[in-house]
Amino acid sequence: MNKITYTHDTSRLSLDMKIVELIDCNSSLLSIFDRLDIKLPFGDMSLSEMCQRDGYPAELFIEFCNMHIDLSHRPNLDMLTTEMIPHVVSYLRASHNYYLNYMLPHVASHLDEILTHCDNLSRATLRRFYDDYAKCLTEHLAEEEATVFANIDSHTTPSTNLDTLDTPHDDINDRTNDIASLIIKYLPEQAPTKARCAMLYDIYALRDDLRRHSNLETYILKPLIAKLKTGSHQ
Amino acid sequence: MNRYRVVIIEPATLIAEGLQAILAAYPDVERVSCIEPNADIAHQLRITEPDVVLINMSVAHLMDSCEELESIPTIGIQSAIVAPATQNRFAHTITTFSSAEAVKSAIREVVATPSERSYAESHELSERERDVLVLVARGYTNKEIASELNISPHTVISHRKNIVHKTGIRSVAGLTVYAVLNKLIDSEQL
Repeated sequence: MNKITYTHDTSRLSLDMKIVELIDCNSSLLSIFDRLDIKLPFGDMSLSEMCQRDGYPAELFIEFCNMHIDLSHRPNLDMLTTEMIPHVVSYLRASHNYYLNYMLPHVASHLDEILTHCDNLSRATLRRFYDDYAKCLTEHLAEEEATVFANIDSHTTPSTNLDTLDTPHDDINDRTNDIASLIIKYLPEQAPTKARCAMLYDIYALRDDLRRHSNLETYILKPLIAKLKTGSHQ
Repeated sequence: MNRYRVVIIEPATLIAEGLQAILAAYPDVERVSCIEPNADIAHQLRITEPDVVLINMSVAHLMDSCEELESIPTIGIQSAIVAPATQNRFAHTITTFSSAEAVKSAIREVVATPSERSYAESHELSERERDVLVLVARGYTNKEIASELNISPHTVISHRKNIVHKTGIRSVAGLTVYAVLNKLIDSEQL
């Protein structure tokens, strides 16, 4: 069997590892299975067997896992091919769906509960801040869909302008951190701890997920598209 | 880890390209762009959205006429003798003799986010910082704040850096919420 082993501070993943071991190593990896709509149960299936069953490139899947566990991990691009681009896009698109249709409304509902304990001005200002943040994130994701993913869908990938993948990640990251700081440090004590903590769990989860998302775009999608552009010019 | 976008405003091609080569190899740097001093700097800054600008002190006067430059942390590049007043405009400087490591560490120092820094020992804003914060929350530009408080735009930038460091909040919208939650501003002032 073609065995690939990666070693980090936090993990040691290989293609012949059983799925149950993989998830046991870091249960948050379940989100990858969820987004790729990979069916459970796995029984004693290994990672490579699962990828073979579902027609998923195993080398790409293991890089998703590595980059999920370790934000500083950088993929081995020699193992990744341009044929994997649609799979990457499919995963990124599922992540967009998760942010827009689950995370943002979920955080908003926690915020609404917190805001009932604030005065009118604080309520209006904080709500506007969150709505602007959600709008900024939504617009950025929509732009990626329109300018990058749509080209890949229509097989015009080489004409893709990759600048969109860079644009406002830092701004979104700053605002995500700002929300957390405001809730932790400055929201009046009348706001219930339970709702406040529930919101913070979600905000930090969203922040970390957006960082992983950005890393996948920067270190997998962009280089693969660049590789395709180079190929199409030769 | 945040990755930084850097812009270099430098008339000397050798210096500009040397800095660009050093910074392009630095993993913390996402993108380095060079802008010629006679270009439309405001337009270029809006396109490149830098986190930090390295600008030659010989063209420091450009900072007076470009509002976009006022809100971005700057590092002065000293390649010749300049007037002390010009030198004093920069809290962070590098020279043509600086090592690659010194250039990187100046950038790291200038753009480090609150979460990457050690938290400030005192979170209490000074009276002047509160004045600046209120005007930021009311949508004033650095130039307008400087004029309103009768201080230089660079002092305003320095106060804003302190405010970010002490509060842990970087965005203007977030600082507005902070000002409201701390009763520094009321609905009439917004």
